[in-house]
Parts: sequence; structure tokens; C-alpha cells
Amino acid sequence: MVIHYKCPNCGGEMLFESNTGLLTCQSCGRTDNIEGFSDDYVTKTFSEEEAKEYQCENCGAVIITDADTTATACSFCGAAVVLGDRLSGILAPAKVLPFTISKEEAKAAFQKWCKNGRLTPKGFMEANRIKGITGIYVPFWLYDLDSDAKVDAVGTKVRTYTSGDYIYTETKYYDIYRDIDLNFQKVPVDASEKLNDKLMDKLEPFEFKNLKDFKTPYLAGYIAEKYNYDDNELFPRVELKIDKYIDSYIRSTISGYQSVNYHNKRINTRNKNSYYVLLPVWMFYYDYNKSEHVFAMNGQTGKVVGKPPLSFGKIATWFTSIAGGGFIALKLISWLFLGGLI
Amino acid sequence: MKKTISLSIIFSFIALLLVLQLLPREAIAATDPKQRIFDYANLLTVEEKDNLEIVANQYSAESETDIVILTTNDTQGKDIIPYMQDFYDEQGLGYDKKHGNTAILTLDMKNREVYLAGFYLAEEYLSDGRLDQIRNKITPDLSAANYYDAFTTFIETSSKYMRISPWINPELFIFKLWFQILAPIAIAAIIVGTMAFHSSGRVTVNDRTYLNTAQVMNRKDRYIRTTVTKQRKPSDNNKGGGGGFGGGGTSGGGHSHSGSRGSF
Repeated sequence: MVIHYKCPNCGGEMLFESNTGLLTCQSCGRTDNIEGFSDDYVTKTFSEEEAKEYQCENCGAVIITDADTTATACSFCGAAVVLGDRLSGILAPAKVLPFTISKEEAKAAFQKWCKNGRLTPKGFMEANRIKGITGIYVPFWLYDLDSDAKVDAVGTKVRTYTSGDYIYTETKYYDIYRDIDLNFQKVPVDASEKLNDKLMDKLEPFEFKNLKDFKTPYLAGYIAEKYNYDDNELFPRVELKIDKYIDSYIRSTISGYQSVNYHNKRINTRNKNSYYVLLPVWMFYYDYNKSEHVFAMNGQTGKVVGKPPLSFGKIATWFTSIAGGGFIALKLISWLFLGGLI
Repeated sequence: MKKTISLSIIFSFIALLLVLQLLPREAIAATDPKQRIFDYANLLTVEEKDNLEIVANQYSAESETDIVILTTNDTQGKDIIPYMQDFYDEQGLGYDKKHGNTAILTLDMKNREVYLAGFYLAEEYLSDGRLDQIRNKITPDLSAANYYDAFTTFIETSSKYMRISPWINPELFIFKLWFQILAPIAIAAIIVGTMAFHSSGRVTVNDRTYLNTAQVMNRKDRYIRTTVTKQRKPSDNNKGGGGGFGGGGTSGGGHSHSGSRGSF
């Protein structure tokens, strides 16, 4: 099933506009609310069951995609197409977080970010070598979790005092027990195989109160992927992710001790609810020194992550300035003090 | 380009500091006939003695304190401290006046003991602690019979300490060259390392980002037992190290002084 959005006015192509949150016609400028867009203007073609080929609704060419793509552009005419059958049934996302940063804003923000890199080589910042910017809806699972943590520990309180010729160290031991119920909401885990988990983790946080019920028009004009792992397969990852949050909460409830020794920690996490969502990410492909660098930007907040190249010269300059400045400062201090000026 | 400029600024600054440090040394070398080296034990050659007189004369003027060396084979049955005190009273040592500012090193060759003392201005600037530091510096030379080197070090170090405010510890680690070189390098490495580490973006979610509610359902902090260990208080006897003990005192003539005593 291939979905294509035609303008009710002029028959032109309609795309999702991030600034307004509306479907916008590229030729006459007509805008339509996604919730109220009439099905009459949505062209859907169901592919025959056997055929794994999709045909572009606009020009009739065969759409070439890889197996995970759910939204893309026709490689011949450039029309935005959404592959509906890859977004239905168990593959239907529950929610979508629409892009709020447009391609131009993303590009400008990325260039600014490149310039701010204190260790980034000069040529990297100046050369305008963005090879490609792609807006991708990345599949994530959001988990609502109930955790029950039971902890046994031994804590000590130490007091020292002197009496006569001796110093006494008095250690009091306490048996500590905590039973804590924790509830986590909307913990995101990236469900796409292609994207680097570490990179995706650094993109957080997303503002989930702007989540919208999923409608295919949000994807018009972007690339979208379907999930490679379901919520059960990713459950161990989300457990690992909240593990450190649980530990820090446990520690915050145990106070007043000099040392705490944990003997037993049982954490039981239940998946209360999990839903499949698409989150907006701008991907940048950047050429520098014959190698490609990949950066990602949170399509909602504009936060940029990715490993920029490091300039040896800049590192050396920072290093010598700090070390040299520190040396001069210390010399100056000792000169003032030892020279009898103070 | 920028790098070379900043480096050359750093180097010229260091050079300036070194020059400034050297400047006051060249002042006043006027001869005065005052004797400051009393080598009754004949540890020095005539030439060494003359040299030390010149050095002592120069540094005494700089610190406005007579820096005196006293060696003996015979303390006339007295302990080293009273021997030194009586010598000070009799000679009327002092830079500014009779019985004035004096730093004195006394060497008892018979009992192989050394005693450093400071009178008046030197009592304030060469406290017991500072004299301990100087004594620790020269003891190896004394033990090795390098008397000339030990005396030179005593004269130079005392004069240097006389110009440093009494509340500063002159041997503090931040005044040491190894620290002044290593510490900025370590700090620079840490700063640049964090900069490189954060260049790929930081994690900006914290413990509370996804935590909705948390409730302690059950808690227990039950006292089990107490253990007590005791340890003897460290005694003050070994303060000063190297067999040194005792601080200053007051001479028969009523002149109070600081001091540091040890054997070599």
C-alpha cells in the first residue's frame, strides 16, 4: 500500500510542515489540518499480495526502498510516499512526535554547533561540506514501568574520641532494609537496528507531552523506519537503563551513615505499558578529510550529538596555554611570597 | 601563528621573572670589618673562611641580620645552648645594635651536635619550625664533613627565609619547581580531556527525568552492635626528626631566641 497526499485545490503534492504542524501544498500553498484531512484526497494503492514492489503514485516508477523503510521519497520524481502496510497491524505506531525544527533551521543550528566546537579543526567548521541532511522518524519503544526494589545493607556510624593516652574509635553497626516502589514513565529505547544506540541515548530528552496520535500524513516528506526489535526483545535494555536511576534513588533514602555495605538487592521490574512511537531526528552526513562523519540532531529540541574530528593543533594550543598559564601563575605566586613582597 | 605568539609571550614572561628574581642580589657588597665566622674548631681553610666572611657580610646586609657561624671543640663543660647564649652575650652580636638581630649556627665537634638559633628579628622570621627545616637541609653535609657547603647553605637559606613573611611555610610544595611544572600539566590534561570527551555531546538526562513516583513502602534501620578499638596517642617526642629536640630559650643576658637542635 502506497500513500500519497494530493492537494484538494490544485492536485499538487502535500508535505508535513514542521513550523505549522499542518499538511502544506508545495505548489499553491494550501494548508490542511492533519486530523481533518479528507480521505478522498489520499491516494492509496494496495500492492498485490505477492509483489514486494511498490509503485509511485505520482509517476508510476518502481519505488526502491530497503525492507525497514516506511516513508521515503520516490527516487525518480521525488514525491513523498508513505508505505502504509508497513505501518499497520502490529507495525502501527501508537504515537508520533512531529518535527518542530525545519530543515533550514536544522542546517543553521548544525553549522553553528560545528563552529562552537573548541577542539574541532578550523577547516571542518568553515568548509560547507554537509553532504546530506535527512529527517528521519526513528522507531522507539516507550515503556511505563513499575519497579519494586528490596535492599538489605549494613551501615556504620563511626565516632572517635580521646580519653587519657588513647584514641578510641567506636563503630556502630546498623541493619538497614528498604522496600521501595518506583514508577517510571515513558522511558525511551531505540528500536532501530541501523542507528547507534549510544548516539540515540545522547539525544534525549524528548518532550513527550507533545506526542500526537499517529497519523500517516506526519511522515509526508520524511524518511521513516519500522522497528527491528519488539518491546519484549528490548525489555532487558530498558531494565539496564533504569537500573542506575533505581540505585541512585535507593542511595538517597539511606543517609546518616559513614559507610553502607549492600548485601542483597532484588529489583523486580514489570512492564506496565509499552508503546511504539516515532521520534524526530535530523541526520547529517558530513565529509571531512575523505571520511564521513555522522551527526544526529533531536528534531524537537535541536540538541546535536556525534563525534566531530579533533584538531591536534587546537588540543596542543589549549594544553600549552593552560599548562603555561598555570606555571606562570604559580611562579608569580611563589615570587610574590618568597620574594618578601607580601 | 597564534600558537607561536602565545608561546613567545609565555617565554618572555618567564625570562622577565627570572631577571626580576636576580636583581636584588647584586646590591650592596660593601666591606665591613665585622667578624662573623668564629671557627674555633678549625674546620675551614683560611681561604674558605675569608670567602664565608664575604658571603656572610653580603647576606647579613640583605636580611638586616647578622648571620654567624660558631664552631668549637670545647664547650667549657657547658651544654651547647648555654655555650651559644654566653657567646652571644659576651660578643654582643647583632646587625642593628649590640645584642640585636642575629642568626647563629653553633657546631659542637666534641659531642657532634648542631644548634641553630635566631635572636630578635631572626627569632620571629626564623621560628623553631623554619630552623628545623634549615637544619634538615644542612645535616647531610655536616655528617659528610662538607662544612663549607653546609655553612654556605645555612647563610643563604637563613637570609632567604628572613625575607619571607613568618606565616608562610617556605618549603611548601607549591613553591617547589616539580610541583609548579607537574600540577599545571595535570590540570591541563584533565581540562582538555573533558573537552574532548564532551565534544561528542553530553548525556542530559538525570536520575529524575523518567521517574514518575517513588515511595518507600517499608524501611528499617536497626541497631545491631558496637565495636570499640583503641590506639595509643602518637607521642610528641619524635617531632623534629633526626634526634633533634628542644626549641629556643633565653640567654643569661635576658635575650630570648628561637632554636633547633640536632646531632650529625
